[in-house]
Amino acid sequence: MMRIVFDEQACVGHGRCYALAPQVFDADDLGHCVVLLTEPPAELEAAARLAVASCPEDALTIEG
Amino acid sequence: MDPGAAVNPDTGEANPYLPEVAANPIPFYERLRDHLPVAMFEGFGRGTWIISRYEDVRWALKHPEIFSSDFVAVDIGQDRPLIPLQIDPPEHAKYRRVIDPTIGPHEVAPLEDELRSVVNEILDGFVGRGTVDAHAEFTVPLPCIVFLSMCGLPLEHLQQLLEFKDNIIRPNTGDPEEDARVRRATGAALYAYFEDAIEQRRGGTGTDLLTRFLTSEVDGRTMSKEEMLDICYLFILGGLDTVTSTLDCSLAHLAQDPVQRALIADDPSIVPAAVEEMLRFHTPVMQILRAVAQPVELHGHQFEVGDTVMLMLGSADTDPSEFGEDASEFDATREVNRHLAFGGGPHRCLGSHLARLELRVALEEWHRRIPDYTVAEGAHLEYSPGIREIVSLPLVFDPVVAEAVE
Repeated sequence: MMRIVFDEQACVGHGRCYALAPQVFDADDLGHCVVLLTEPPAELEAAARLAVASCPEDALTIEG
Repeated sequence: MDPGAAVNPDTGEANPYLPEVAANPIPFYERLRDHLPVAMFEGFGRGTWIISRYEDVRWALKHPEIFSSDFVAVDIGQDRPLIPLQIDPPEHAKYRRVIDPTIGPHEVAPLEDELRSVVNEILDGFVGRGTVDAHAEFTVPLPCIVFLSMCGLPLEHLQQLLEFKDNIIRPNTGDPEEDARVRRATGAALYAYFEDAIEQRRGGTGTDLLTRFLTSEVDGRTMSKEEMLDICYLFILGGLDTVTSTLDCSLAHLAQDPVQRALIADDPSIVPAAVEEMLRFHTPVMQILRAVAQPVELHGHQFEVGDTVMLMLGSADTDPSEFGEDASEFDATREVNRHLAFGGGPHRCLGSHLARLELRVALEEWHRRIPDYTVAEGAHLEYSPGIREIVSLPLVFDPVVAEAVE
């Protein structure tokens, strides 16, 4: 199972993650990332991978 | 002339401020990245270094302690640094903590219905005509109306605000000293306008942005009048022209690209990805300025403290090292798209969530009602350098009946 690792210090709130995978990520009031599902189920994996790959600050990575 | 010729590898110079570059920047960007990753622009009365490769631009954006965004980097008629753009970390974060939530993603989402109505009211004004200057009648008023509404300001002030931002961004008097004088005078009028608007709201209970600024706390205290004015100044300069130019570039592009236009008109669910691709491919804010705050070396070039550096966002956004071999092609269905059209690092555009909403709804409604359109025959599209507005964008289409807005 994939596991999402979030680097809070690197996030500046581009908002690509919660736009592309709203079931896996949300925004806090600053527009920064909140990881809803650290280990997303199989049906959300593709969206989660796209969201992680789309972060311009490399604030998201995948383990496993 | 060939826009690529604006890069001269023999002298190390490049000039992004030519109209032909603004109209067709991709050959210029390509030559910059390939031949002069650090170039010199002899403009603005002083030399400015240009950085153009994706990784270099991204790195510079992440390091405001080296490439500072403070007051020295740009003069736009202001008396004090714009907040938060011209304040560097750590001070910067205190302001972002207050301002970002007022236009964050959850805050702007409920505006969608009202925004859709505004877009349709504007469209109603010309859909029956079959011809429109989309710049003057659509892309200019839209972001300004949204801004007025969010600040609780009357719609009758539309022309006034447009004059403020045009006189500051492009006074175009032909004389640099006169330009500076116009900017200064307009800046003073802009401060006075917002000072008046803020004073009217003092003690009020409205939910508009200005009233919220009055009650917001930075470091446990309310903001001074000057701090609020410095935020308003940035909102006018950052919030209007940028959306206008993105919509100009988008409509001009799609008017000339029937295949991509049909994709969007046939399937509105593509619009969010198409917006990102418009932002990437056209990068309407071609470049931003920074001032070197620490000596640093890049590609064998030594930057000294006080040097001015132009981060060429548009060039970063068309760099094949990040976007692949089709980086110079427009693909409305592109998946991974880490463009830097909103900048990056701590100064990432704080209006980006509102901008994306405006762009998406504008393009959805335009294509729902006007799916097929072209540039009027014989029209010459003139792009402004720096921020790629199109001075006049005459489009023609089959007239459709105006619809009552629900």
